This record gives sequence, C-alpha cells and structure tokens, in this order.
Amino acid sequence: MNTKEKLENAYIDYVLSNNEQPKSVYIFTKSLKLKEDDFYTHYNSFEAIEKRIWQQLFTQTMDIIKSQETYAGYNAREKALSFFYSFVEVLKSRRSFIIYSLKHTERSISTPAVLQNVKEEFSKFSLEIINEGMDNNELSDRKYISDRYKDALWLQFSFILNFWIHDDSPDFEKTDEAIEKGINVTFDLMSRSPIDNLIEYGKFLVKNSKFKPDFIFK
Amino acid sequence: MKEQNSIPVSKVERSAKFVTTGAKVGINYLKHYSKKMVNPNHSREELNKENAEDIYNALSKLKGSALKIAQMLSMDKNILPKVYSDKFSLAQYSAPPLSGPLIVRTFSKHFGKTPDQIYDTFNINSKHAASIGQVHQATKNGKKLAVKIQYPGVGDSISSDLRLVKPFAFRLLNMSEAELQVYMGEVEEKLLEETDYILEVQRSIHFSTVCKDLKNTIFPTYYPELSSKRIITMDWLEGIHLKDFLKKKPSQELRNKIGQALWDFYNFQQHELRAVHADPHPGNFLITPDDQLGIIDFGCIKEIPDDFYYPFFTCLFSNIFDDRHKTIEYFRKLGLILKSDTPKQVEFYYKNYKAMISLFAQPYQQAEFDFSKPAFFDELFAWSEEVTTNPKLKQARGAKHFLYFNRTNFGLYYILHDLQAQVKTDTFRPHRLNE
Repeated sequence: MNTKEKLENAYIDYVLSNNEQPKSVYIFTKSLKLKEDDFYTHYNSFEAIEKRIWQQLFTQTMDIIKSQETYAGYNAREKALSFFYSFVEVLKSRRSFIIYSLKHTERSISTPAVLQNVKEEFSKFSLEIINEGMDNNELSDRKYISDRYKDALWLQFSFILNFWIHDDSPDFEKTDEAIEKGINVTFDLMSRSPIDNLIEYGKFLVKNSKFKPDFIFK
Repeated sequence: MKEQNSIPVSKVERSAKFVTTGAKVGINYLKHYSKKMVNPNHSREELNKENAEDIYNALSKLKGSALKIAQMLSMDKNILPKVYSDKFSLAQYSAPPLSGPLIVRTFSKHFGKTPDQIYDTFNINSKHAASIGQVHQATKNGKKLAVKIQYPGVGDSISSDLRLVKPFAFRLLNMSEAELQVYMGEVEEKLLEETDYILEVQRSIHFSTVCKDLKNTIFPTYYPELSSKRIITMDWLEGIHLKDFLKKKPSQELRNKIGQALWDFYNFQQHELRAVHADPHPGNFLITPDDQLGIIDFGCIKEIPDDFYYPFFTCLFSNIFDDRHKTIEYFRKLGLILKSDTPKQVEFYYKNYKAMISLFAQPYQQAEFDFSKPAFFDELFAWSEEVTTNPKLKQARGAKHFLYFNRTNFGLYYILHDLQAQVKTDTFRPHRLNE
C-alpha cells in the first residue's frame, strides 16, 4: 500500500471512529508515524482526501458501466439509469463514510465542497449522453432549456443520493424505485412531449394574431 | 428498445381517475345540498346512490390491485360481475415495463450475475406482463425458459392502493371499519403473498407434485436455484390462452376434455388438499399443442380451514336445507347470520343465502353437469343483479373465507361456461361431517 492510500484509509478509519476530523495534520501524521511532509505531498487538506474518495467512487462506477457489454447499445435514458444503479451499488461499500462526509461537509445551498469534483465529472457524463440523445432524437432540443438538461440530471443525482442515505428498505429496494421513476420522469420531460406542441401552437397563434383566440361556439 | 420512451400513460390516467372520482363525489354533495335547499326531501340515500355509482364506475375502470380489491369486495355481494372474464384477463398491476438496466440490476442484486451470465440467452424485451411483473424468454442447456421478474415496490403499492380504496369502500358498502377490516385484511394478506416469489416457487413445486396424477393437466418445471424473492425461472410452456383456443372452434369433445381437466384440478385441491389455486383468471391457463391443460402461476393459494369447509359442504350435501333450524345453525357457524340480527333479518338472510348456496350446489347435484346451459347462468345473473340492487345484500357478510372461495368457484363455473363444457362433477366428492 502506498502512502497515499495509507493516508486515505487511516483518515476514513479516524473519522468513522471519532465522528470528526483529526485535530490537525500534524497529529494525524504523527499517529501514523509519518512526516507532515508526506501528507502534503499528496493532499493539501483533509477535505482533499474526502474529495478524492468521492471521485474514486464515481470513476469506479463509470468503469463498471462502460465495461458492461450491453452499455454501448443503451440509449441515453438507459445509460443514465445504468449509471445510477451501479453508483448506488458502489456507494454501498462506503456507506458509513458517505453519511459522515455529507453530514460534515459545509452546508450551503450550492454543491457540497466534497462533491465539487464529482459534479464536474458527472456534468461531463450528462452532456455526453444528452448530446447523444439529441442526436438520435430521443431528447428534444429546446432553445435555452436544453442547456439546463444537465442540471436536471444533477438534481436527480443529489435527490437519489439523499434518498439512498435515508433509505431503510431491505437491500435499498426503494432507491431502485426512486431511480427508475425519477430518471424516467426527467427523461420524459426532456423528450418531445405535449408541452412542445403546446408551445408551438402558442407561437403559431401569436404569429397569426389577427385570428383572435375567440371561439365562435363553445 | 422501445419501452418507456413515452410518458407512462396508464399511471397518469390511473391517478387522474381517482381525481375525477373525488371531484364527482364532491359535485354530488354540492348537488345534494343545492337540491336540499330547493327540496328539503331530497334524501341522503339518493346521494349515497349517486356516489356509489360514480365510485363503482371509476373503480371498475381501474387496473391493478385497486381493481382486484374492488372486485374482491364486490365478489361477495356481486357473486359474478357480468364482465368477469374480460375484466379479470385485463387485471394486472399497471406499470411501465422495467428498463433494461433495472432488469440487469435486479439480477445482479439477487444472483451477483447479469442475466447473460446466468442463461445461455436472455431476451431483454419482455414477452408479456404477468400480474405484478413481466415475463422474459430465456434458454439454458437447450431448454426454453420463462423468467418472471417482479416490479419493484409492488408490495408497497398494494398497501397504498388498499388505503386508497378503503374510504370508497366504506361509502360504497356502507359498512363499519371493523366489519370491512376483516375482508380488507384477507385481501391484503393474499395480495402480499403474491409478491413473495420464493413462496410461490415452493407452492408451485408442491402443487405440481401432488397434482401430477391428474389427467390431461401439466405443470412447468420450476428452478428454485434460478429463482429468488423477485425472480422466478420455470419451463416455457407452449400453448394458447382460452380465448384463442375458443376462437379455433374446438370440438365439443375437446372442450369437455379441457373442462374436465379444470374441474378435476379445482375439486381435487378443494376436497383433497383443502388448499386451492385461488386465481382462476383465464391468463393462468394454457392449452398446449397436444390439448393438455397447462397451469401456470401459483401466486394465490387459498387454504380452506376445517371450520369453514365442513359447515359449508355439510349444509350443501346433507338434507339440512329441509330443516330450517339446522340451516340457521349452520349459517351462524359460517357467519352468514349474526347474533345481532333481528328475527326479520334472520328470515331475510336465511332465505337469500339458502337460495344462493343452492345455486352454487347445482353442478354437484347430478353426476354430470352441462355448463353451456344458459338457464343456470341466467339464474346466477339474476341473483347477482338482485344482490347489487338490494342494499341489504350489498353488505359483505359471512366468514372471510367466502371471498376467495367464491371467487375461485364462481370463477371456475364461468370459465367452464365459456368453454361450453359438459363435465363429470362427481370425480371428487366433497367430504362432510356425519350428521
């Protein structure tokens, strides 16, 4: 085990046992019989360790789904589903840490600090599948709105993560349901729907405003 | 892949249905109060009637467990909803098909492997929907298999659907919570049992073993090692459903053969096993290419306890009905007549349930019964008409076992009627207490 991993494991062990961060990098490295130097070669703060763990979980998930034979044949919706199912499976191995990490990270209305990197990578992944979906007409390309599609997926990410943390059903079965239903709704909204037709109809009526929206009979 | 590319219409419609019902009931109340202002004599009963009709109409348009519940509750009072066979063949949990990734997920959760690793081939597109899951075709070692996968969260949806139906049922049936709870509990228990696939596999294996000597009846082989809480693997039975079978205009002889197999299957279970496949929904039977009756799906088994079986069949097959006192005594045992009933009510229920049970017993009266005879079914219809319109009979009554017992037996009669079969009804005689 190299120093980087050693630091990581020791850190996880410490926070889960003490439910707080080590008092200082000095005390932490001392207990591992390492120099402070060794720590800063790899990480600039404790937070950086947490960020890396999250990032690893994400990378691991991507590796798993991309190695599946069926993945290449999936459409955008199925790729997203596949991502989330694998993600919650991967998370299982680190559940205690995840609960700790999200509880202790700085609460703000925006993304928790520890998830910063994951958000970037997830957005890349989202854009990839959204573009693919728009290319094959699975998703509807809407002015202004389609730029926000990836945010909708991030919203699902945060919702599903939160749902999973609070899920007490056996084998996290309810999370599966939340994923299946939630992702489907999100993709349904991004697909061509009555709303598109409604908007187009509205546009048409505005353009032809000499026909007042009045009814001869009702 | 095509599934789930559109809004799951059925789901949306389903909730919308309840919304409209709610709105309609609200409107009925409004109408009631406005009518009352004009005409103070506008009775509450009229309101109840209007509500009941709207609720019943809405419920009968529903699919899924809500429909099942509605029908179960109506079964007792309604013996045979007229559109029984059609509606039941439609009855299924309405859910969009599972996505490919969720299927893979379900397998890896339960077996640690993907379907492709478990079977030689696995068709990711489902062949058809089962009541609470979907069926896929697979092969392994040269055998064609049927793989049933349950929708996640069905158990929850059953409980919530039940809660949804409850207030409607109160109003519809005009029963107290405690009275209704007995029946609701029975329905919920059975529906939840259906979601336990491990139990279903055990039962399927048990029933197909004990029933294996029945003539012209075949069962698929089940593979417990390839089954789990949410997945069942069994042999793929080739065959067609009753509807398609009848379209091919089978000969009387053939219809009798299938009808006889059905009759024997049910009566063997009822009288010998005292536990019965309580879901005589036409989709659970197949006619195989060599004209055998294939039976699939043992999700719903009703055990018939002695304290129900003996009183019921004893009053059916002794001459107890000649003796008014004894009949009433037996009706009390079956909960058809209650302690709290007034003498007038006793008389009323005595008369009506005697008529109903005699009707039920008709096929048993001779050694052979012709289910194509319209007279018998006309009588059943007339009776069910009477039951739905008579508020006193509308209330569910009797031991809770009547729910599934009636459903099974009248369901069987109905299928035999569809088959227009002549059946030897003395193959398995009911047991009764010596009087």
